[in-house]
Amino acid sequence: MKRFFILSAVVALVLTSCDKVSPTGVLVSGTGVEDRVKMSRLYFLDHKGDYKVLVAAKQNEYTFLVGADSHLTTDDTRMREMLQMGLDNNDLLVAHLGDIADTKAEYYITLEDLIDEYRVKYGKKYYQEFFMGDENSSVQVEDPKYYVYKDTLTGEIFTASTIPYPFYPVVGNHDITHNGWALWSNIFHSSFYNVYVFADYVDDRIIYDRFIFLDTANGTLGEEQVKMIEEGVLEDRQNAEMGVVVRNTFVFSHTNIFRPSSFQFSSTFVREEAYFLLNQFVKWNASIVFCGHVHKWDDQVVGGVTYLTLDSMCEENNPEPGDYLVRVHVKKDGTVTWEKVHMNTRKK
Amino acid sequence: MRKLLVFLAAFLATAVYAQPYTGVHKFDGKYRNEVSAYGMFGGNIVSGTFGGLELSYKRYLGNRWSAAAAGQVQMGKQQYSGYVMGGYRLPVSWMDFYLDGKLMYNRYHRWNTDETVANLSLTWETPYVFLKVGESYIHYHVLDFDCTEPLTLTFGVGTSIRPRWNSWNIGLFFRNYDEFYYENWNINWGFNFYANLRPQMQLFGEFNVRPAGSMSQLASRYETSLKLGLKYNW
Repeated sequence: MKRFFILSAVVALVLTSCDKVSPTGVLVSGTGVEDRVKMSRLYFLDHKGDYKVLVAAKQNEYTFLVGADSHLTTDDTRMREMLQMGLDNNDLLVAHLGDIADTKAEYYITLEDLIDEYRVKYGKKYYQEFFMGDENSSVQVEDPKYYVYKDTLTGEIFTASTIPYPFYPVVGNHDITHNGWALWSNIFHSSFYNVYVFADYVDDRIIYDRFIFLDTANGTLGEEQVKMIEEGVLEDRQNAEMGVVVRNTFVFSHTNIFRPSSFQFSSTFVREEAYFLLNQFVKWNASIVFCGHVHKWDDQVVGGVTYLTLDSMCEENNPEPGDYLVRVHVKKDGTVTWEKVHMNTRKK
Repeated sequence: MRKLLVFLAAFLATAVYAQPYTGVHKFDGKYRNEVSAYGMFGGNIVSGTFGGLELSYKRYLGNRWSAAAAGQVQMGKQQYSGYVMGGYRLPVSWMDFYLDGKLMYNRYHRWNTDETVANLSLTWETPYVFLKVGESYIHYHVLDFDCTEPLTLTFGVGTSIRPRWNSWNIGLFFRNYDEFYYENWNINWGFNFYANLRPQMQLFGEFNVRPAGSMSQLASRYETSLKLGLKYNW
């Protein structure tokens, strides 16, 4: 009996004391991919107009920046550095490959504050800013609520909270543990969506580059997402029927496909699902598939598709400065190249 | 207490060796051939409903060595598989140790993938519990791409409510492999049973839950399947 109580105590301790993993998740999940995808799809369809089409048609090339596994806690150094780099380099968008924060409410507050800060910085840089308050009130002058931002290209007006800041994350497994989905979705809303970049206009045809963000936080797409992928919802088949040409496709997934070493004790996709995805990405004619999760750099080419698995940009996992980010260059003629980007900051 | 343990160990050793074949490995030395077949039915995320048939043959070369071959056809998944296997059994007191080598080929036709696997495993088996550890070499060719995965740890553990020589049994298992696949850190688990219909014939079955993302991620439904088959020895 004594042994039984000791064993029960040890099991209870293991099941309740770990912040990083959810031991009960070995067998069952608290947050299902099916529910997330259904919610995300509904949100995405209702708010599709909010997902601004990014315009790169007038440029000789555009760039975008990708980072992974920031596991943000109270230290936002690396995340801030990434967002600042995106702003300084005029990157068209910044993408994040999941596990953006470790699951605690206060970490998500830090994250949301940071995103809001950079949303305003983005507005100040790319839009025309108008102060709508009393210029004699120092409180109002300091308060972002009293400013509006005008997109001079389209004439659209935004407030500080509605500026379409092009920061696009996918959801990671750490983002959904301990009911983290509630925190994550409160900021980013949808875990399964796509974004288009208006890349060129040739012979009366609009040429887009397509960015597909998948929900692979559970190590599987789930039935609903597979169905939607196979039905062509994410491919936006109706766009193709309207004569819209998709030139490059970039895919973002938290879960990685290729295991970099025998000692990486992270589950990847189930074998058959990995084979399904390798084929699916060729069908999409994807240029690059970005993955995270495993905290180890890897690059492969399969069927003409480049797979980049990024190392973690987290201060805890990689305290020393290093090449944790990737910047992609897309030329006017559609040529795609990529480079590693060095992060200079250390843990606070 | 020590006398009781010695008696129990001696009893189990005698009983294990004397009883007819009942488990995955157990062999009593009274027959040389074993053939089994099972039907499989299930559903998974990427292929939907699937069903298949498996046929295997095992030849015992004396009391220690064995050789086996098996094939499988799975509709739905369009998975066509075959393997050859060799094993050595080392009885130690009331336990058995097995060293098994396996060469397997899988054609995942639906996903244009050919997979070759070599596995070497060591199994420790007692009347109620088994534990398996090993390593898998996995190579696959998909489209124009060849990939040799880093060596993959194979592990499995199982227990049963009756001793392995009982005429019927129900067991629970937890492992990262099945007869025709070896996963990395994705666990599958479930229940299995057998019941001897005649001294030479056995009915067996297995209910298998194969979730995705079960180790470092939150497990989510991927595949559920059921196997039901017959085994015959002579």
